[in-house]
Parts: sequence; C-alpha cells; structure tokens
Amino acid sequence: MSDGEFIKRLRAALVRHIGGPGTIHNLQRLTGGANRTTMSFDADIGHERLELVMQLSAHVSDPLSGITPEIGTANQARLMMAAQRVGVPAPKVLAILEPSDQLGEGYIALRIAGETLGPRIVRDDRFAPARKVMTRQCGQILAAIHRIEPTEVPFLMEQNAAEHVAAHRRIVDYYGFRLPALEFALRWAELNVPSKQRRTVVHGDFRVGNLIVGDEGIRCVLDWELAQIGDPMQDLGWLCIRTWRFGGAAAVGGFGSREALYAAYEDASGHAVEPGHARFWEAFGNVKWAIDCLRLGMRGVQEGQIERSAIGRRIEEPLWDFFNLIEGRG
Amino acid sequence: MHLRNIPLILSCETFMPTSIPDVTTLLTAAAKYLEQELMPTLSGYHRFQTRVTVNVLNIIRRETELRVAQEADELNRLRRMLKHDGTLEALNDELCELIRTGQIDLDNAELRAHLRQSLADALAINNPKWTLVENR
Repeated sequence: MSDGEFIKRLRAALVRHIGGPGTIHNLQRLTGGANRTTMSFDADIGHERLELVMQLSAHVSDPLSGITPEIGTANQARLMMAAQRVGVPAPKVLAILEPSDQLGEGYIALRIAGETLGPRIVRDDRFAPARKVMTRQCGQILAAIHRIEPTEVPFLMEQNAAEHVAAHRRIVDYYGFRLPALEFALRWAELNVPSKQRRTVVHGDFRVGNLIVGDEGIRCVLDWELAQIGDPMQDLGWLCIRTWRFGGAAAVGGFGSREALYAAYEDASGHAVEPGHARFWEAFGNVKWAIDCLRLGMRGVQEGQIERSAIGRRIEEPLWDFFNLIEGRG
Repeated sequence: MHLRNIPLILSCETFMPTSIPDVTTLLTAAAKYLEQELMPTLSGYHRFQTRVTVNVLNIIRRETELRVAQEADELNRLRRMLKHDGTLEALNDELCELIRTGQIDLDNAELRAHLRQSLADALAINNPKWTLVENR
C-alpha cells in the first residue's frame, strides 16, 4: 500500500471511529517489536488536535506460536480497556480497527509522553523522585491487573505454573538445543512448581522498559502481548530479574527492594505474598529469559540480523543469576 | 627417529608459517576503529548497531583466546563426572539426558560446580562483566 493510500485509509478510520475531520500530522513509524508496528501521529478531531499512537499486528509466521501465551493487537486493546476499568494506567484505547478499515489488525490509543528507556529510568537524576515511588506503584498496579475479571477477557490463554514450565521445555526441544545448565534449570522448575496458586489475569511482561515513566512516577503500562491467565506471582518474579535492572543494584527494576514490592502488593491486593513462591517465579523468569535469548538469537540468525543474533549470546546471563537465586546468593 | 628429523618436527611446531597479524590483533584493531573513530560520528540506529558490532567482535576475540582451553577443561570435568570417555558433544548430550530424566540428583555438588564453571566460562567470552557483580 502506498503512503498516500495508507494515510487516506487511516483518516477514514479516524472519522469512522473517533470523529472528523481526521486530518493527520507528523506521522512517524516508531521502532516496533518483531510482532507489530507502532506509529505515532497527531490528528484533528473536532476542534482538538489529539496525540495518538497506532499499533498494527505484523504478519509473522512463527512455528512456535500458540505454545506460550500471546495475543494480537486487537485483543491487547480489549485487555487494556478492561485494565483501565479497574484503575490500571494502561493506554487509553480510542478505536479497535475493523476489517473494513483495510489497515490490518490493530488499535489507536492516546499517546502518553514520558520515558521508556531502562538505563535512563534507572540512572538519570531526573527520575530520582519517580524511583522513590515506583516500587509501591508497581505493587499497586500489579494488584489492580490481577483484579481484572477473567471472564471479561476470555481470549487469554490459561496456563498454570506446571503448564507454563512445560510449554517452555517444548520451545527448547523444538530447537533441539541442549545446554546442561538450561536442562538443570528446567528440571528444577518442574520439581519446584508452587503447589498453591491463585488464578488471575497476568500481564506477562511487566518490567522497566515496558513502563512509561515521568518525573512523578509510572504513567502507563505498555506491552500486553504476553498476557495470560495464570499464577499472579509470575508478574512479581519477572519484575525482579537482573536483566530488567539495567545496571541498577536493587532487585525491583534496579530501584526497589523485593520486600517493599511484596508489602505494597499485599496492601493493595489483600493477598499475602509468600517470598519463596515469588522467588520461584523470579528463578523461572530467568529461565524464561534464557529461552527468549535462544528464540531471539535463532530468529536473528534466520534474518541475518546482528543485533538479534547477538542476543543468543546472552543466554548464560540469566542462567548464572538462576543459580545464584536457588543457592541463596541472590 | 633420525636425528635429522628433529629440527623438522620442531620447525613444524614452533615456526609453522602463519599469517601476520594474528586474529586477536586484527579484531582488536577493527573494534578500536569502530568504537573510537566511527561511533562518535554516528547517532541513533547506526550508533546502536555499531555498538552491538563492537561487542560481537570482542566476543569473537575472547572466544579465540579462551575457548580451546575451556573445552579441554570441560571435557575433563565431564569424563570425571560421567566416568567414561567420549566427545564433548556426546558427553554433554548424555549429561542433559541424565538431568532431564532425573537420573542425576540436582543437589549433586559436582554437577552444580561443573554447571557453574561452564556458565562462568561462557560468560568470560560473551559478557565478562556479568559475573563481577553478584546478583542481589
């Protein structure tokens, strides 16, 4: 589709879903993930100029799709709307695209200003006040996400902890990749699956890098594509893995302590956090990131792309952290 | 063995013709150019990709320097632990199978020390900084 045709269709979609005249300004393609394209633009709606983003699903054929939870952009939008209703600072969705829009699968949301780059959030002086409140905010936001009524988001895949571990084993087997330390970590996870789990909506990728942060703290939670129904402690563990600390020393995103996170979550949710249970998910989070490194590295090799290929060489980082965690050196 | 053969053998081992400069020197020079001369002139996407490329060249250099000795050590540890000989690949596959099927206890101290050493070796090539700061 030509740029002119694309803008014509986008304007028609704006008029249909949000309002006219729908004149578009400053259209920019932002760096997107592998599975989607993100665009930023401003649009005249009524007498206002709205700052907007659009996310479109990219068509990738992934032989591993469906093994672990993953949702397309339209369902991400539906989930973000449900999250907004329980007070989660998710992107405010203005339109979910329809086939008649001829733009593909996607949604349009209000654009939110702020910083997403991990190293800046963790190190810049400017975010020092934000870092003071973010641990508490993370606990509160996760508690709210876990309050979303699962029946409102029936499109989410459900995996309990054992099923989630088994799904990741299948990914490793698909590649025929054999690394004794990874085998050890998977076996450990199989043997240490938490016996008691609640069953809630889980964000699946809640971490620094997927949060829009302002000077005052967290403004918005992004990247809902790995959402699922599962053990809510998964989100608390994932937030603590070292890769997402971006060089910061503290466990929670480089800025907070686990204890403070657990306390904030308990206050906001009314559910006690058993530290060993959260630690299981932190340990298994490291295993998941190791497997992601494998997966991204293999994709990079296929594409002949250096940045993604090099991620394959990061697989030992989370496995090293995994051993520190299970041996109490974490 | 005839005495006259000795210098020949020695010459094969010590004076075998090799290209100059060696791989380490070339990679160091390439990384230095990219990092110190090219990168300051770049921004955004290309600056980032160049940073990644410098990292990759450094990985290749460290692998060239370290991997042969690491593999010999790894093979020795595997032979000791599994109590028989084999190729590195075959012994690693066997260890994976033992772990996966529960035939080796996860609390086995020799196993844990071996896996940690193998990870430390790989990190010494792929990202030496990672093991410097202990995980908190």
